[in-house]
Amino acid sequence: MTNTIRLELNDVAVEYGARRVLAGVTFDLRAGETLVVAGANGSGKSSLLRVICGLQRPARGTVTIRIGSATYGPSEALQALGWVAPDLQLYRELTAIENLAFFAVVRGLRHRQEDLEALLDEVGLGGRGGDLLAAYSSGMAQRLRYAYALLHNPPVLVLDEPTVTFDERGVALVERVIARQREHGITVIATNDPREERFGDYVLRLG
Amino acid sequence: MTARDTELSSRDPVREAPLLAAAWAVFRKDVRSELRTRYALNAVILFAASTVVALSLGMGPLTASRNADLPIIQAGLLWIAILFAAFTGLARAFVQEEEARNAAALRLAARPAAVFLGKLLFNLALLLLLVALTTVLFVIMLRVQVGNPMMLAAILLAGSLGLVAATTLIAAIIARASVKGALFAVLSFPLLAPLLVVAIQGSAAALLGRGWEYGVGPLQVLAGYTIALVVASLFLFNSVWEP
Amino acid sequence: MGAGLRLAQTAKLLLGVWMAGIVVAMFLVIPPYVGLGDAGRIIVMHVPTAWVTTVAFALSAFYSARYLWKRRAADDSGAVAAAEVGFLFCALATITGALFANIVWGTFWNWDPRETSILVLLLIYAAYFALRSALDDVERRRRLSAAYNLFAAVTMPFLLFVAPRLADSTLHPNCAFIQGSTCDGVWLETKGVRIGQLGDVVLALQGLEQRGDVAVAYVEVRTPGLQNVALLEPTFELASGKPADRPEFPGQQFLLAVEAVDLANGRALLNIEAPGTGLLSNSRTFWTFMAANLGFLGLFIWLYRLRADVLVLQERLARREVVHELPA
Repeated sequence: MTNTIRLELNDVAVEYGARRVLAGVTFDLRAGETLVVAGANGSGKSSLLRVICGLQRPARGTVTIRIGSATYGPSEALQALGWVAPDLQLYRELTAIENLAFFAVVRGLRHRQEDLEALLDEVGLGGRGGDLLAAYSSGMAQRLRYAYALLHNPPVLVLDEPTVTFDERGVALVERVIARQREHGITVIATNDPREERFGDYVLRLG
Repeated sequence: MTARDTELSSRDPVREAPLLAAAWAVFRKDVRSELRTRYALNAVILFAASTVVALSLGMGPLTASRNADLPIIQAGLLWIAILFAAFTGLARAFVQEEEARNAAALRLAARPAAVFLGKLLFNLALLLLLVALTTVLFVIMLRVQVGNPMMLAAILLAGSLGLVAATTLIAAIIARASVKGALFAVLSFPLLAPLLVVAIQGSAAALLGRGWEYGVGPLQVLAGYTIALVVASLFLFNSVWEP
Repeated sequence: MGAGLRLAQTAKLLLGVWMAGIVVAMFLVIPPYVGLGDAGRIIVMHVPTAWVTTVAFALSAFYSARYLWKRRAADDSGAVAAAEVGFLFCALATITGALFANIVWGTFWNWDPRETSILVLLLIYAAYFALRSALDDVERRRRLSAAYNLFAAVTMPFLLFVAPRLADSTLHPNCAFIQGSTCDGVWLETKGVRIGQLGDVVLALQGLEQRGDVAVAYVEVRTPGLQNVALLEPTFELASGKPADRPEFPGQQFLLAVEAVDLANGRALLNIEAPGTGLLSNSRTFWTFMAANLGFLGLFIWLYRLRADVLVLQERLARREVVHELPA
């Protein structure tokens, strides 16, 4: 079943007012494939990823997620997408566990406290689940973003600047996550760090 | 892989969460955040209290012997105090999501109807607290005679439902705009005009001690208004909540 | 294209002549109305602008709905154009109405049901424009303002339902707005049931007699609380079968009319009327009025299309700038 997952972008263009940042991006990814979108600041990497997640409306073109024989637009397939990005903010006035428990319920997942704690362990936040996010460092906040994105084990994982604010152990976490996603789903990574291009089966360079 | 794959992962990637459970979760999340930060709570309570105190300082207790129109004046003042306190607090639920940049995380996880219903519920809880507080302070400090307390409570409850039904979608709209505070009142007021007329007249009848036959009409109008606006909101919210 | 343009030019010319004709007819064709005098002529301006406002609001809501449905920029332009031109007509209707009210009843504003609804409509339009100016992103501006426009339209029926309960008097000729009036009037008899009620006024028929070719009823009226008691003498034209003199109730802006008589049995059908009732029963007034409605509707359509075209053009220009920025 997993190998029937496809992510298709067809002629996607992004504009901010009169300024066009992306013109006519087209690609097609299958389960097990990883795409790295590379480019300088302002080249439209983040915008492209936001369009894939349905967080931004393209000026033109379509994004289609195929699961089996069914097709969905990004905003119709909330449970198929996981998004990690610097501008992803979780609730600062809640603890990490409260955040994850909340997102699990609104996603309709049956969750137990132990499952959430296991997930926190996995992203390297074991034992810190009871702290308010307001007290988190930027690296810890980034780790929690991974917990948020992996909570529902999405077939399409979208990572914007995956290692930003991370130390070496953090980078190892990213490698683990990408390797595991490769087993069953699609990964799209946006980065301006040339070292991270090694994650991808394909590299899309935006000028 | 680990245990969480069997427990947490969703096998159907487009399966939607049960609506009411998700809406309840949004409501509880907002209540918990609010109890910790008290942004809206403080603003609303202080606003309500200062309005009532200002009124009672400025006018002193009004007595019926000096003015035959007293009940309608008191009902009008009470609803204006409620309305303006509501304008300070009810936009918070959506504005907070946008300003703290949590909206994207919520958009990606929750279906729009659950977000709307959760926020509606939160606003209703906040408003009911505000209305109860304002009314009690108002009745005590301005020495208001309440002829039919049960009917007054019913009109206040129905009016609050209508107020929340009208303003929650507006709050979601103005959360995306550049001048939020002023815009909320500007957009809400024209839609609230029919509600205010009915609620003030119904409340005046209740203060006067009229029987329930004078309350049924206003209550029916308020119920119809609430239902129509909640249904319209549910239809329109998807377009408003889109990024 | 050329033929279409010539047609549009001709239509514009015709519209100008038509509107000029209406202005002339307003002063020369319409007879002065009893009780309102020359001020009554303003209905030729006032009612059509108010009616066009309603059309504009409905059109704007329709285009907003279609924008949310199909997401085409042209629909948003339509909604904006209808709202802007509608706002203009709404303001005109409000101003002409206030002037008329001040001349005839000595007050610019009376919280009459229609005044309330048109004021709220003005506020909704103003809020719609304020919202648009506060949203920077073009797509979001269109989407959110369309949603607000539709949401506001949902509350309008409630306003129209609630407004009549608001005022205890009306300046508009609609008996349904008069509290307690059933529009049917009451039959009173000099030798039977003499006492009746219209709205909150108690009437007593004291006598009924023929004077020349009119029937005169002598009616004692008492307003609530017995603050005013007066003897009024409304008359009825026997030849045409229409009310003639409509005296005003003491302290109120309503008129008392005899709508039918039965002299043999001493019976008369009395009714309460808002001033202006029966204004259109004069055929010259009626046709001028209908022509004005048509003219103002044409004026609205012309202004609306002009504004919508400008908006679409602006949109195209913005697009072209985008294209120019890209390397060839």
